[in-house]
Amino acid sequence: MQKELTDIELIELVLAGNQSAYADLVKRHQRYAFTLALRFTKSREDAEEVAQDSFVKAYKSLSAFQQQSKFTTWLYSIVYTTAMNFLRKKKLKTDSMDDDAVFTQVNLLASDLKLDSTEQKSRSYYVNLAISQLLPDDATIITLFYQGEQSLEEIAQVVGMETNTVKVKLHRARHRLKEKLEGLLKQEVRELL
Amino acid sequence: MNETEEQLWNYIDGFCTEDERKAIEILLTSDANYRNKYAELKAFEANMPSLGIEEPSMGFTFKVMENIRAEQARVPLKTRINTGIIGAIGAFFICTILVLLGFVLVSVDWSAPSPVHLPEIKIPPVTNYLNPVVIKGFLFFDVVLGLFFLDQYFRKFFIRQK
Repeated sequence: MQKELTDIELIELVLAGNQSAYADLVKRHQRYAFTLALRFTKSREDAEEVAQDSFVKAYKSLSAFQQQSKFTTWLYSIVYTTAMNFLRKKKLKTDSMDDDAVFTQVNLLASDLKLDSTEQKSRSYYVNLAISQLLPDDATIITLFYQGEQSLEEIAQVVGMETNTVKVKLHRARHRLKEKLEGLLKQEVRELL
Repeated sequence: MNETEEQLWNYIDGFCTEDERKAIEILLTSDANYRNKYAELKAFEANMPSLGIEEPSMGFTFKVMENIRAEQARVPLKTRINTGIIGAIGAFFICTILVLLGFVLVSVDWSAPSPVHLPEIKIPPVTNYLNPVVIKGFLFFDVVLGLFFLDQYFRKFFIRQK
C-alpha cells in the first residue's frame, strides 16, 4: 500500500513544480476550510468563494510558508483573514442572531437543510443550528478547537489574538452555544406539547 | 459566565495547574452542586463531536486548480520578460558604442598644428552686488522656504498620527 504523503511533503512537491500535489492538499483540507468559511458567511455559495480564494492565496504564497507551524494553522489563518475581508466588503450583518432578521435567516437555513422530522430532532441538527446562531468569531473558535484539532496557541495564531484572550473567548463561546442550544431545545419541547 | 463554570471548563480542557486540579477534584467529591454543574458541562461537551464538517461542492478542487491556472495565465508581461534578451540588447548597444568610440579615436589626427590658446574668462566682481538689501532679501526668502518645509513636515506628521 502506498504511504500517504504528509502536508510538508506535498508542499515540497508543489514547490518543486508538481501542481497536482496541490490538488491533493486541497482535497485533504477543503472540508475544514469550507466549514470555517461557512461559519462567517452563513451561505454555501459565499463560503465556497471564500474557501477557493483562500486556497489560491495559499498557493501563491506557499514559498513564504515557514513551516514553523502546522500547514492547517497557516491555511486557517488565510481562510480567517479572507472571510473577514469578505464580510467587510459585503457588509454582512455579523450581529448576534438574537434579532428578528437573523432569526429569519436561521429559519431559512434550517429549511434549506430539508431534513426529515427524525433528523430534525437529532442532536447534530440542533448543535449545528445553534452554532450557526453564534457570532462568526465564537463559531470559528469552537470549530477550530473541536473540529480543526487546533490548540489554543494555534487558534491564537489563526485569529491574531493573545492565547489568554482566545481561552476566555472559547469559554464565552461555549457558554453562548449552551444557551442557544437550551433555547432551541426548549422551543422544540414547546412545539411538541 | 460564572467563575465555577470557568474553573470547570479549565479542568475539562486540562488547562488548570496541578493545585487547581486537586482543589476541583476535592470540590467534585464534596459539593453536590459543583458535581451537577460538572455533569452538565460534560454532557454539553459530549455534543461537540456532532458538530458537522460541511462538504463543499463536488468540483471544489477542480475550481481551485482552474483559478490557479487562470491566475498564472494572467501574470503581467513585465514578470515574463526574459532577462537574457535584455542583457543581449544591452550588450549589442555597448558594443556598438565601443566600436564607434574606437573608430573615432583611431581616426582623430592627434598632431596639433599650433599651440592651443585657452580663452580668458573674466569673472565679474560678485561683491559689488552683495549690498544689504540683497542679503536681507535672500535671508527673507530662506525664512519663507524654511517655514514652508516645516509646515509640510508637520502636516505629514499629523496625518500619520491620525
